[in-house]
Amino acid sequence: MLRQLRLCLALLLAALALAAPAHAQGPDIAAIVAKLGGKISFPDTEAVIAELAATGDPAAERPLRALAAGQLVWRDGDEAVFIATSGAEPTPLLDPVTGADAGTAPKDQLNKIRIKNSIRTAVDDALAGLTLRADDPAMRRRAAENLFAAADPEGIDVLDAALAAETDANVRAVMEQARAAAILKSDRPGADKEAAVTTLTARGDRPALNALTAFAAAAPAGEAQEAAARGAAQIEQTIALWGQAQNIWYGLSLGSVLLLAAIGLAITFGVMGVINMAHGEMVMLGAYTTFVVQEAIRTQVPWLFEWSLAIALPLAFLVSGSVGLVMERGLIRFLYGRPLETLLATFGVSLILQQLVRTIFGPTNREVGNPDWMSGAFQFGQMAITWNRLWIIVFALTVFAALLFALNRTPMGLQMRAVTQNRKMASAMGIRTPFVDAMTFALGSGIAGIAGVALSQIDNVSPDLGGSYIIDSFMVVVFGGVGNLWGTLVGAMTLGIVNKFLEPYAGAVLGKIVVLVLIILFIQKRPRGLFAQKGRFVDA
Amino acid sequence: MMQQPIEPGPAEPFVSPHPYATQRALERRAKQTADGARRETLLYLDGVTKSFDGFKAINKLSLVLQKGEMRAIIGPNGAGKTTMMDIITGKTKPDSGEVFFRGDVDLTRHDEAAIASLGIGRKFQKPTVFESLDVDENLRLSLAGSRSVFSALRHKRTVEEAAKIEAILATTRLTDKRHRLAADLSHGQKQWLEIGMLLAQDPELLLVDEPVAGMTDAETAETARLLREIAETRSVVVVEHDMHFVRELGVKVTCLHEGSVLSEGTLDHVSADPRVVEVYLGR
Amino acid sequence: MILARFLGPRVWLLVAALLAAAVLVPLSNLWLPADHPLHVPSHIVPLLGKYVCYALLALALDLVWGHVGILSLGHGAFFALGGYAMGMYLMRQIGPRGVYGNPVLPDFMVFLNWGELPWFWHGFDQFWFAALMVVLVPGLLAFVFGWFAFRSRVTGVYLSIITQALTYALLLAFFRNDMGFGGNNGLTDFKDILGFPIQAGTTRAALFAASCVALALGVLLVGAVTRSKLGSLMTAVRDAESRTRFIGWRPEYVKLFAFTVSAVMAGIAGALYVPQVGIINPGEFAPVNSIEVVVWAAIGGRGTILGPVVGALLVASSKSYFTAVAPDTWLFVLGGLFVFVTLFLPRGIIGTIDHGWTGWRERLKASRAAERGAGAPPAAPPQSPGDLPSPAE
Repeated sequence: MLRQLRLCLALLLAALALAAPAHAQGPDIAAIVAKLGGKISFPDTEAVIAELAATGDPAAERPLRALAAGQLVWRDGDEAVFIATSGAEPTPLLDPVTGADAGTAPKDQLNKIRIKNSIRTAVDDALAGLTLRADDPAMRRRAAENLFAAADPEGIDVLDAALAAETDANVRAVMEQARAAAILKSDRPGADKEAAVTTLTARGDRPALNALTAFAAAAPAGEAQEAAARGAAQIEQTIALWGQAQNIWYGLSLGSVLLLAAIGLAITFGVMGVINMAHGEMVMLGAYTTFVVQEAIRTQVPWLFEWSLAIALPLAFLVSGSVGLVMERGLIRFLYGRPLETLLATFGVSLILQQLVRTIFGPTNREVGNPDWMSGAFQFGQMAITWNRLWIIVFALTVFAALLFALNRTPMGLQMRAVTQNRKMASAMGIRTPFVDAMTFALGSGIAGIAGVALSQIDNVSPDLGGSYIIDSFMVVVFGGVGNLWGTLVGAMTLGIVNKFLEPYAGAVLGKIVVLVLIILFIQKRPRGLFAQKGRFVDA
Repeated sequence: MMQQPIEPGPAEPFVSPHPYATQRALERRAKQTADGARRETLLYLDGVTKSFDGFKAINKLSLVLQKGEMRAIIGPNGAGKTTMMDIITGKTKPDSGEVFFRGDVDLTRHDEAAIASLGIGRKFQKPTVFESLDVDENLRLSLAGSRSVFSALRHKRTVEEAAKIEAILATTRLTDKRHRLAADLSHGQKQWLEIGMLLAQDPELLLVDEPVAGMTDAETAETARLLREIAETRSVVVVEHDMHFVRELGVKVTCLHEGSVLSEGTLDHVSADPRVVEVYLGR
Repeated sequence: MILARFLGPRVWLLVAALLAAAVLVPLSNLWLPADHPLHVPSHIVPLLGKYVCYALLALALDLVWGHVGILSLGHGAFFALGGYAMGMYLMRQIGPRGVYGNPVLPDFMVFLNWGELPWFWHGFDQFWFAALMVVLVPGLLAFVFGWFAFRSRVTGVYLSIITQALTYALLLAFFRNDMGFGGNNGLTDFKDILGFPIQAGTTRAALFAASCVALALGVLLVGAVTRSKLGSLMTAVRDAESRTRFIGWRPEYVKLFAFTVSAVMAGIAGALYVPQVGIINPGEFAPVNSIEVVVWAAIGGRGTILGPVVGALLVASSKSYFTAVAPDTWLFVLGGLFVFVTLFLPRGIIGTIDHGWTGWRERLKASRAAERGAGAPPAAPPQSPGDLPSPAE
């Protein structure tokens, strides 16, 4: 039985050695770990730890961690070393180096390798040193960050050693910061500490701030202490600044969502003066179009998934645009000049569209996936920026620019502006005004559909999607000033940012209420919005 | 061009939330203070400027109307005639300049309703009457009296009121249309109803914007007669394009151009003015 | 006699019908045997009462929409506020009979570990106080809101949208637990009202009768207001607001008056509604509820007094029917009604009976004429970005 087990182990180790040739080059970890078997003294244990640390081989991490956790055992008889994670009878054993299953053993045949605090510390240092030299820079960086958080003076030597070997500039920087944090806690001379303060101040984030304030509070008065206090104040400022930047970023992100939702409305309401309460449903249709496109791709051509949004965009424009076209021709054109009745009729349409979607797709949220390039986040200074938010801002601005171009630089846009400014004259000039009306409305609706594609990436796709945006959209258009695309842009961004700056004080819901109230008050002051049309005929 | 008042008016003209209180207080003050040239005028505009997005609709306009005077204002399109009316009636606030009514009521400090209550009535270029009300109700709403919501709620019809309306209906020849909806009136009748509404307000000054646009010759002559009759007891400013009509009125004429006064005097004097000819006929 | 001629026969017929219902329905429910053909079953009484409350709400909305031309998309808010005031009274009446048996605190407060009653809950154990709040809270909100909105001349669709924002903001607020109005669940599990058990047949009959009387009084009030000189003034404001200024009226005060009175009526409707349905929750603030009220008035015929009442009864009862028979179709029906009424029946049922039917071809012609004629649709801002106004006078 024992013999077989040993054979197994040997085979396993051999297999491992073959599988991981890189590890096989250095001193044999398994051989070193084996020295822990049998009754050994604490100094011997520490020597083994030092030997493991000296290998610089990440494979040493597992036995070291097990040792620190008190899970390392040796077996009576062959004195082989194992990891035992449970105290069950019979105890399941794991190989200390590979972590592979190594059979079981009766509980009374196993002896725990004794440890004490100094052993644990030694293990921690060894571990820090080990991962500081891992192959993967991200891992080294993490190890350095851990050491930074620990700020243990004992780690200075390990860091020095690692720094000597480190080539990656980013990792080096973190290691130096970790070293600085450790130095502040050590009894090194003042000059070293001053240098450390400089390093930490340069790091400038909250942990650095904590290290500095702790040092400034505890250290005896001196140049280093003063520098630390100054550095802390400086960092506090930087952090506050980054906080504002983060808020502005969130605000811009929300603003771009509002802009997307409102920009179609800026055409139908702002330019044409048609109150389309079904505007939110146009957005919803766009989102559901994305859902349908993704479903089709998932089942038919999964490799196209990364392109699903690009495919959904024109389709959503067409779907929402044609629904808008049908609405204009079939309903709204009979109601020109009667805004309140237009409001009611389009509200009816919005109810019908909602219920239609509910009947077809069900009342629950539908899953719309994010392509890879839309997911994840990256760090910019001290702000976390998610890719989907970034892309949506870019997208919103692109749509805005395209619309501005279409209205101001294309023949169709010229006709649209002509008709909205002076219908009679435009008609006399040979412009087919009903056609232009229909096209303008379809354009506004189509853009709402495009917005739906983008919003499907960050919001729940449900039949109620549109309803949650309609009031916000109207607020943006009214706040920005009716009939002015730039007003819509500024209005959306302002509302977004104000909202996000209010949230920390008032909470999300209350913040929203406060914004609504502020807008209502604002309309009191400037009933025609931020970028009001000026002229003698606005009241007419 | 304008005569400056001998003594500058009070720095803060008295304004009370109640239009009648304002009116009475101002009358008292007007009596107490020394008479200036301005105080004798009914309407006094000096250096009034108003621009829309850089376009100067009114440019340093100065105009004086004496009590009891009737004045015709002519001018090509865009001369600022309607904007001038807007400024007098409080619809538009001037960028700069003085507008005084009865010598020292600063009109720029009042809104439309207060100015109407002060005694300035206005007839619009396009007749605007309350179409879903009948002729009688239109006049009744215009009758001078309390303008509070609650007094309107408690209001009871009186014999005096009926007599006044009777008289106005007779003046404007609408007696047999009394219970017709205003919407069913002809264009000319709507114009007259609007003039009737002006009369019901019992204003001191009437501003009448193109009263004969779209009228037949007979109606035009009738309207001229009506306005002359009104001018016997009140001051009237008439804006009109129709030179026939202006000649028929036979009053002093002011020609506006690009927001300021181009020429002033009798119609013959004004129409002989080379600048006026140039403006109307082009170079 | 003078009053009778003053208000016209239709208003009096409506009032008489309501008073008759107030007497006959409870009588039939309480005294006739269950198998009698004229017996009104007990579950129908509160349902009818609910419709009558809706009718009062529709009448309130029509006072501002039909007569003054203010399309409020937030009247559900006043209705709900009145309902909450009544609900708070009913909650306090539960006393120690709640699940947690706390004599003072309503169950949801105990559940939230609140130590004492919030200040705004004090006084609601008294009926007179609650009744005062039913009138005062919606009235005050409408007054303050209207004061700001009308004085700064916010009109037309802008006003409609900010009224919708108002009810939306209240919806969000009342969903919050820490607002102290029961959050999501609202107020419910009422036990009795003025000492009478709320589930009892007699109480329900009395509530129904009270609703009918309230509606009758509302009809008389609206009738009296609209037939007065103020009524003419309201019509004038509706048709040509700025013109009323030039003859010295202040339309903002006319609107403020109508809006406040209307909000109070809506609040009373809400207060009568809550004990009959047994619950009030933030859902009543949902913008879609307010818009449904608009369709009641539109279908019945706005500005006709009788119209909104008929419309509310008709639409609300068909809603009950559809949600029972085919729940999925109701929104199609409601949406279709909006479209149908605005396109084919712009005067509503009563208005069409009064004025005759304007063929839809004629109206298409009219809208074409408008399209060709008066330049851009009136709501459209005439200038596009950055363009100077044409100096034409």
